[in-house]
Amino acid sequence: MPKYYGYAGRILRINLKEKKVKIQPTEKRLITQFLGGRGFNSKKVYDEIPKDVNPLSPQNKLMFATGPLVGTAFPLGARFNVSAKSPLTGILGDSNAGGHFAAEMKFAGYDQIIIEGKSRKPAYIVIDDQEVQIMDAEHLTGKDVYETTEIIKKDLRDRTVQVAAVGPAAEKRVAYAGIFVNLARPAARTGMGTVMASKNLKAVALKGTGRIEIANPSKFWKIVEEIEEETYVHPQYWLRRIMGTTRILMLADKLGFLPTRHFTSATFEHAAKVSGERLAREYNVKSRACFSCIVPCSRFYVIREGEYAGLYGEGPEYEALSSFTARVGNSNLDLALRAVDLANRLGLDAITTAECIAWAMELYEKGELTKKETGGLELGWGDSKAILALIEKIAYRKGFGDLLADGVKRAAKKLGKGKEIALHVKGLEIIQADPRGLKGYGLGYAVASRGADHLRSEPFIELNDDPEKGVEMFGVPEATMRLAHKGKGKLVRYFENWCAIVDSLEVCKNLAENMELLPFKKAAEITEAATGLPFTEKSLFEIGERIVNLERAYLVREGVRRRDDNLPKRFLKEPLPNGNSKGMIFEIEPMLDEYYAEREWDLKTGIPKVKKLRKIGLGYVIADLKRNGVKI
Amino acid sequence: MKRILVNVDRCSGCRQCEMICSFSHENTFGSSISRITVIKEDIFGFDLPIACWHCNPCNAMENCSTEALEKKKDNLIFVNEEKCVGCGRCLETCTIGAVKLHPERKTPLICDQCSGKPQCVEKCPTKALTYAETAEQQPKLPNQILEETLRRWRIIA
Repeated sequence: MPKYYGYAGRILRINLKEKKVKIQPTEKRLITQFLGGRGFNSKKVYDEIPKDVNPLSPQNKLMFATGPLVGTAFPLGARFNVSAKSPLTGILGDSNAGGHFAAEMKFAGYDQIIIEGKSRKPAYIVIDDQEVQIMDAEHLTGKDVYETTEIIKKDLRDRTVQVAAVGPAAEKRVAYAGIFVNLARPAARTGMGTVMASKNLKAVALKGTGRIEIANPSKFWKIVEEIEEETYVHPQYWLRRIMGTTRILMLADKLGFLPTRHFTSATFEHAAKVSGERLAREYNVKSRACFSCIVPCSRFYVIREGEYAGLYGEGPEYEALSSFTARVGNSNLDLALRAVDLANRLGLDAITTAECIAWAMELYEKGELTKKETGGLELGWGDSKAILALIEKIAYRKGFGDLLADGVKRAAKKLGKGKEIALHVKGLEIIQADPRGLKGYGLGYAVASRGADHLRSEPFIELNDDPEKGVEMFGVPEATMRLAHKGKGKLVRYFENWCAIVDSLEVCKNLAENMELLPFKKAAEITEAATGLPFTEKSLFEIGERIVNLERAYLVREGVRRRDDNLPKRFLKEPLPNGNSKGMIFEIEPMLDEYYAEREWDLKTGIPKVKKLRKIGLGYVIADLKRNGVKI
Repeated sequence: MKRILVNVDRCSGCRQCEMICSFSHENTFGSSISRITVIKEDIFGFDLPIACWHCNPCNAMENCSTEALEKKKDNLIFVNEEKCVGCGRCLETCTIGAVKLHPERKTPLICDQCSGKPQCVEKCPTKALTYAETAEQQPKLPNQILEETLRRWRIIA
């Protein structure tokens, strides 16, 4: 084995059918071209999962990867990505989580774990440094995420082992089941749990005694200390420490982009009752953090009275909180906590689950869906019985839940109605921010490589409405103003590249990007100090560009074109009825033109140009796309 | 004597203490070689860093068959590596589970309080760790701390 700094230096391949394990060195070329984490996964998804593979077949591969700063004292989080072809969208499936799994994966000795084939029997994988075992999991069948994690810790007589588990929703092949670490931290989006379960794999448990070496410790510590100093005096430090992302709920309400009652309103009259502020005041007992993170933004809550007294748990984050409050019209905070808890235990993606429920509620409220069709459920806005019942029915594919278990796009198709209000892009349900009030975010949803999602670009900077910043960064004052359409192509391209780097270093986007604690220059400096390999601001930007383009090429190979880079009609036709973004609609076409021009993608088709692919070292993709019938 | 004390309500369970400990002693990052270890019970949101309390008397020292655990003048316990055979008995007899064995050397890793300036305390992001005088010669057991904490948070009655 060559000597590695920063990286663990190994890639583990496990074939579940043949019960074979292969350990390969992490190639230097992969590192310099794709950096780590999401970059590693996207590269191998493109290279190893050919066009038209059925996402639930043994030919799909499930990949976990983490980055070169993980498993050290780097103070801004330690995450991993898990990727495969998505059973929800049929395109790139990819999701990312924090907690303590990623660091343990590094200590066990791996930068990436690739799982192939399908086990004949229910199984779980145990990785103890270089010893890999495929264990029988008959006794875990049907168990929820919490039970599974606990049983595995007992089986192994080890409470320090890190477990990534799926719940019953994944076993029932709900298209949007997640993979959960530390009980309540899911890699939730795009159905990666479903892919895992389709391989008859219930969990991956790992631990390790390995060490991560640093190439240039004095430089590494100097930068770490700079980051620490900046973090502790950052204006958002205490807000994040007290409320984490739940602080966004009141902000979204104030600015007028809080998706309420299935995006029919942009403010929620009960926002304060279900806010992060209220959670902090009345429910939270302490803060928790991901591995090595100095901003403990996760919270542990306890419900002490009322119907749900005795319920406690970690979280929720803004997305899940907002999912089960404003989006479904529920003003009962305790009920929302129970809903998130239930979705976690059963192993569901809270965002997609809430969209499916909110979609059905809107149809029901409009009289387009009857009690007969819902199996007797009354789906009025915020109906507590209906919310909890539907979460369970979806997870177990019971009754009306079965219809919703394939996501909102397929549910509308199957039901033959509600297509216009099925709020997704490329089959992935939209998150909790109304694009009419946040134009950069909206463009981000339209073009994101995993479907409607903010985490591929997260151009938070437009929230400040500061035209000077727009001029400084992009030469366009409107670029950083949230209600303007102009300049958003430049904005989104820049932030997509940044997010790709943050995801590949596997550090936290909230801190590295939103709090601007790790700009490209600093990212390059610390990555170089950690790994001993030459990285510059420019080379990182180019790696980000390469990752985004390779993901685009994967989507193109699967048939995605400009027509798919779109938002649901609601956002294009219906002006926002209220709040501080009142009257806004979303004008997608000029924004796409600008974005494609920035990206050097063909304006008509949205396919990356040959010249562009060559320029960023993706020449091999051109021939491959041609072989697959793409006119490039 | 001065000891490393923990405020469990403040501990976020981030394990920076483990990282700084491993680096300052071994010049590399790894949980397996840190002399402080965070016990985590995710189900209760409970995080408790454990480091050698330097008990008086020390159960592990009394049970060490080769008398490899010794006490310095300042009452800090340390390992005489020449006497240690790596049997791991200390790991089982330490009352709070503060000992782990170095994965290759197989000798116990015991907190040395970084010569009076514990780095884990210096770096603790939430100031959950402090270094202060205490007359308590024996630490509270982790299970007792867990129970008290859950009662305080009203998770158990």
